[in-house]
Amino acid sequence: MVGVIAFIIVLFLVNNPFGYLFTLVCLLAAVKASKVPFALLLRGLKGILSILIFTAILNVFFAPGNTVLFSFYKIRITQEGLVLAGQMALRLCLLIIGSSLLTLTTSPIQLTDALEYLMKPLKKIGVPSHEIAMMMTIALRFIPTLMEEMEKIMKAQTARGADFDTGGIIKKAKGLIPLLVPLFISSFRRADDLAQAMEARCYRGDINRTRMNELKMKRPDYATALILSVFAACVIAINIFFELL
Amino acid sequence: MHNEEMIKTDKLVYKYIRIDENNEEHSLTALNGIDVHTRKGEFVAILGRNGSGKSTLAKHINALLLPTKGAIWVNRFDTREEANTWEIRRKVGMVFQNPDNQLIATIVEEDIAFGPENLGMPSAMIRKSVDDALTAVNMSAFSLSEPHKLSGGQKQRVAIAGILAMKPNCIVLDEPTAMLDPSGRREVIDTVLRLNKEDGISIILITHFMEEAVRANRVIVLDKGAVVLDGTPRQVFSRVETMKGLHLDVPMAAEISHRLAAEAHRTQNIESVNGNAEHTRTSNERSPRKFNLPDSVLTIDELITALSPYRPQSHTARPSPHEAPPPHRNPILEVRHLTYVYNPSTVYEKKALDDVSLTICRGEFVGIIGHTGSGKSTLIQTFNALLKPSRGDVLLNGEDIFADKKKLRSVRQKVGLVFQYPEHQLFEMTVMKDVSFGPLSMGLSASEARERAVQALLACGVTEDMFEKSPFDLSGGQKRRAAIAGVLAMQPKILVLDEPTAGLDPRGRDGILRRVKGMLKTFDMTVVLVSHSMEDVAALADRVIVMNDGRIAFNDVPQNVFCHHKELEAIGLASPQAASLMRGLNANGWAVDPNIFTAEDAYKAIHNAITLS
Repeated sequence: MVGVIAFIIVLFLVNNPFGYLFTLVCLLAAVKASKVPFALLLRGLKGILSILIFTAILNVFFAPGNTVLFSFYKIRITQEGLVLAGQMALRLCLLIIGSSLLTLTTSPIQLTDALEYLMKPLKKIGVPSHEIAMMMTIALRFIPTLMEEMEKIMKAQTARGADFDTGGIIKKAKGLIPLLVPLFISSFRRADDLAQAMEARCYRGDINRTRMNELKMKRPDYATALILSVFAACVIAINIFFELL
Repeated sequence: MHNEEMIKTDKLVYKYIRIDENNEEHSLTALNGIDVHTRKGEFVAILGRNGSGKSTLAKHINALLLPTKGAIWVNRFDTREEANTWEIRRKVGMVFQNPDNQLIATIVEEDIAFGPENLGMPSAMIRKSVDDALTAVNMSAFSLSEPHKLSGGQKQRVAIAGILAMKPNCIVLDEPTAMLDPSGRREVIDTVLRLNKEDGISIILITHFMEEAVRANRVIVLDKGAVVLDGTPRQVFSRVETMKGLHLDVPMAAEISHRLAAEAHRTQNIESVNGNAEHTRTSNERSPRKFNLPDSVLTIDELITALSPYRPQSHTARPSPHEAPPPHRNPILEVRHLTYVYNPSTVYEKKALDDVSLTICRGEFVGIIGHTGSGKSTLIQTFNALLKPSRGDVLLNGEDIFADKKKLRSVRQKVGLVFQYPEHQLFEMTVMKDVSFGPLSMGLSASEARERAVQALLACGVTEDMFEKSPFDLSGGQKRRAAIAGVLAMQPKILVLDEPTAGLDPRGRDGILRRVKGMLKTFDMTVVLVSHSMEDVAALADRVIVMNDGRIAFNDVPQNVFCHHKELEAIGLASPQAASLMRGLNANGWAVDPNIFTAEDAYKAIHNAITLS
């Protein structure tokens, strides 16, 4: 996980074409190593295609720049704008592929465990790391359940004549009351039930708790860390090299 | 069976204290001096209507609640001592009603590990207990699944495994099957029985289903926070009058045998008053007056055996002629070649409906049955255009409901759909406002909406004193009825109800079904009832549609459907108990009509058969 965060940061540091090429190659190598089918990653990209195009267009039209390639009325398309748009799109693609690589290879529990582990030092200054991690686990667990519930309530209220689609903003906001009130009530009920179920299973916070799958740094983990550091160093080196040119 | 003490209570009292907006205290006595004593290895079923204190008692066993007065000892540990809490919870696990609200982790095995992790077991040991627990509930194949993708019965088995992994000696289950379909219910109860028999784990099962209670060693009946009956299922269910007085059911066989015996007893008394009892007894060997059924009949087979000495001397079984389906009246809703595919052209593609055609006529009461995933919920959602079929048409009064998008709202008003657990959709400050929501959004004036709301509420049995209450202050059954009124107030031409009785106690169940039947006439409506319960459908419906795997398996009058009992069982549905009883008697040479679906009719038929001979 740390790797991915580092990757994201590095990604934003990159500011020249060769850097991108290098990152892309490294990422492809990582994909190969993870054995995640490439098609699956591409499908993930499909979902954000519209956002991708939208940001690209925004960048094309509104990025500041002097080298005007084409101008029409007040709209100017500049070289810098095009380059920036391309960079942005590529950056987003890499970002999505990188992070879906993480979610596809690592279970949410492992992620929250890792988070708890990383935040351990913060505990000394009063950050409740275990509680935060537990909250994330529960949130992840209940997202699909609540989505299902929302769909159900929406259908039921539609059957009672509620209307979630038409009307102005105020009417729409008002129309959400029949959806939100039951959803909140049921969430509270769920929270209450869950708290009891957890207590009944001897949950008492972090006291004397062990894990079935302990997180330990093993050889591959160290290797990954090393590779990532080298990767980051290379990217920075390339950056500096081009700046000097 | 061990003789060691498992749970002991001493005049246990618990009061819920609620402080309202005006800072006034309201207390509600949930448990009122309970004395219960159970032994290790026992399977105890606790019965009682809603609000009788069952759940409150269960939470005491796990030290989730502490007594207001009196005391409770679990495994000889006093729950009032805080130091004992963890030892008690380790040894006594608890499974709750809602399968969704007790699973914590995003992966099954991680969830099961949650308990042992809290106990601080070493990792390797956790691994082993998780695997053992999964095997014990037959869920090993799902160890890496996500909980929200499992069925209700599977989720409850995961919840049981989560407790087993902590190596308890007692499991308390608080209505674990209330939200499940019949096959899920069977899965859970079979698992629980096996754990009790094979591993000697004590079971305390709270339930509304008498057929589950029958399988226990011992039944305790609670009412108003006190123990009313306590004994073996045989002893408890022979007290038919007491049970009915508490608004509880008894198994059908027990009820029929009890009524036959009571009737025989009554006639006997009349005879003896007339002074010729002696004479009749000698002259008429097989008369019902010499009727002497054992007081403790639990199952249908027992009843058939018990009745065999009284078999009437008529000759052959007389199977009633198959009734012709009722002549087609005016069709109101027609479904033609309907196919519905979820998530088309993805890996999750699933055909929920496959070329379904059916007609529903004006004024009909149609029952739809099928197990979870048979496509019945999808089907009824196409009735009011909530789902648009992938192929095929839905015609309302001969018009395609999807033809004009602007008319969708009027379609939804004509076809009122009451979802499962409709009370979860209540949202207004008062019952009246909530029920008026439908009529108001149809564009009716405030006074008209109110008028309709009042009418609907009264028809659903919600009395005037509740109109201005908050819907959240009503009891479970009242909430359900208010929610149904919310749809009824739109005065639909067709009322579609999806499992309207799920999760209610027997009294709530009967209340709703009786009223739905009444509405048919009062509002000149057509009713479609979706249910798991054969009994309900058989007793009420004019026609039964059986769904299986997205197709219609049967579509006929109840007699012609339930006579296919073998085919029904093959798709995981059982025919009504009364029908099984009649078939059993028939096989034993009784000349009774096999097409009987209610306990009442079954009683009459047996009574007549005996008296006539």
